Amino acid sequence: MISRASLLLLLAVTLSALPAAAQQGVSDTEIVIGGSNSFSGPLAFTGDQITKFGVDLYVRVINDAGGIHGRKIRTVYYDDGYRPQDAVANTKKLVEQDKVFAIIIPQGSPPVVATLDYLEENKVPLLFPYQSSPVTRGKRYVLQGMTLSDRSSKMMIDYLAGQRKIKKFAALYQDDEYGKSFLTAFEKDLARFGLKLVGAESVKRGVMDVSAQVAKLQAAKPEVTFLVLVPGPGAQALKERQKIGWTDTLMVSTGPLTDERYLALAGDAAEGVEGLSLWPDPVTSDLPGVKLYREHMQRYFPKNEPNRYSIAGYFAGMLFAEGAKRAGRALTRESLLAALESFKGFESGILPPITIGPDHETQKQGFWVRVEKGRFKQLTDWLKSE
Amino acid sequence: MRHAALATVAAVVVGWPWAAPRYFVFLASLIAINAIVAIGLNLLSGYTNQLSFGHAGFLAIGAYAAAILTIRAPALPVPATLLLAGLVTAAVGLALGVPCLRLEGLYLAMATLAFGFVVVEAILNLEWLTRGNDGLRVPAARIGPWILATDTARYYLVVAVAALLIVAAVNLSRTKTGRALLAVRESEIAAQASGVNLAAYKTLAFVVSAFYTGVAGGLFALVVGFLSPDSFDVFLSVDFVAMIIVGGLGSILGSVVGAAVITALNDSLAGFQNYRPLIFGAILVTSMLFMPGGIASALRKIPGAGARPPR
Repeated sequence: MISRASLLLLLAVTLSALPAAAQQGVSDTEIVIGGSNSFSGPLAFTGDQITKFGVDLYVRVINDAGGIHGRKIRTVYYDDGYRPQDAVANTKKLVEQDKVFAIIIPQGSPPVVATLDYLEENKVPLLFPYQSSPVTRGKRYVLQGMTLSDRSSKMMIDYLAGQRKIKKFAALYQDDEYGKSFLTAFEKDLARFGLKLVGAESVKRGVMDVSAQVAKLQAAKPEVTFLVLVPGPGAQALKERQKIGWTDTLMVSTGPLTDERYLALAGDAAEGVEGLSLWPDPVTSDLPGVKLYREHMQRYFPKNEPNRYSIAGYFAGMLFAEGAKRAGRALTRESLLAALESFKGFESGILPPITIGPDHETQKQGFWVRVEKGRFKQLTDWLKSE
Repeated sequence: MRHAALATVAAVVVGWPWAAPRYFVFLASLIAINAIVAIGLNLLSGYTNQLSFGHAGFLAIGAYAAAILTIRAPALPVPATLLLAGLVTAAVGLALGVPCLRLEGLYLAMATLAFGFVVVEAILNLEWLTRGNDGLRVPAARIGPWILATDTARYYLVVAVAALLIVAAVNLSRTKTGRALLAVRESEIAAQASGVNLAAYKTLAFVVSAFYTGVAGGLFALVVGFLSPDSFDVFLSVDFVAMIIVGGLGSILGSVVGAAVITALNDSLAGFQNYRPLIFGAILVTSMLFMPGGIASALRKIPGAGARPPR
């Protein structure tokens, strides 16, 4: 039998489900943002750094300085372990249960793509996804974070084939969306110079042994071999190359691979290797924003080493905070988007001035580095992909 | 007593979307989908003692079959899509079940584990059909003019299919076939001596199990809306095994309860981020230590809990 109490409860639940007048996720004292990310699985380290030591680092700085228009930022994260269906569940939970205002820096193409339609339909801003496939392009509510693969490819080929007049290229790529989106872009950009890849070998995700592929690529005699991999197999390719004494090729890493972890794993096999770097060196750069980032890290998380994942998250936190600040006290999702679209030459002190156009891409640049004595040494100024 | 309990459960299930927040409607759909897989797996592992670590593979086949049908033949009504997804998966189950007749215990577990990896590789390599690593977006399915566009619509579809399959499984477990499967579990030699055709029943268990999982896969595709090989990793297969162990081997009710517990647990632990696998593992070990027969057998020990003794 249904009691009166349970009817009342039902009524209460129904009423509480009605939309509130104010913007979801924004109260008088608080703005709630969150994201599904990898805290377990293959990209757990990156997920941990971009969120808890990245976004949250900047959030603590902002909150300790009084918040944004009197509101503190609160973050909620859920683990998806790189599984798309868990990312969908987590994102629904964030939007429908935690009532977040926006999704910030979710990681990896498959989990991000799985949530794209849902977020567009529900008009929830998807801020700065940490993945490089162009699938996020042309969406009303998405602001892309990481430099997209076709832009990276353009910078790499323009620099190597255009400025340094290199003719023979090959690629060792991961057999997934990340690797293939780069491969397609390389082929397109090389065609502009009338060139073709002389060799391309794929590596399954999660596989560490790349000796067969390296041997095949050596036979193709490329002047430059692109590494479109993740740190583990990327470092393995460098070691394998050293082991078989293949010296007449220049190995070049893509933006997502050019990081400290890859460098540390490869050890002395990394010496002389070049690559496109999407971020200034988080440990040694003298840029004012990077110095400030290190100071903040030292103040809030003294045990955590600075690295380019946490700086990417920190930067995402900064862009969001600046957007929310510009949107004013009457913050809504639409006003946040309008504010972010108004960025013209925004100085972060970390990347060159940020202008966000109708393409919604926040990062479009990188610079060339060479590994010297175990660190990335900057060889060029910021390269352009426009 | 039994009827009253059943009526209450039915009322809660039907009224759920009107009482619960939207997210919990979605979560309940996932629980019902996992319950179908758990029942399918339990018919194979719990009833017939054939351990499988490859059910994520069956789920993937059903999911991709349903997704591709929905994309290529949008006029096909959902029940037909799901039935076809189940049949395709059952056919694969038959193909796997026959060679697996020669394997037992650990070796069977290894073969099914390998099967799971083979399915993922096949999805990756059949790019023209599955879009490989790019993943496949699944459009909203329809029954005649009715488009399943909301969480509530999909929920009712999922629970209707789940109810049908639960009734079918309960009936199956009470027939000659069900008793034959149990006999195989207790002792293969004794079962054979009593006239049970071992090969036929083991194969049947594989086929029925695959059919259930394939139908669940079809529902998974519709509810989640996006498929990628990353969805069907070995940990998903392990989750399914955990569901029937926690719920109770050889129990339909246990399968449903186990699916509910593991799904809800996975969901609520997502907030613990890095500690999720650790806490999840600890809960599994504890429940196996203190409830070796699963939740279903723990329930039976409570007088008047309504669960029937196993035989």
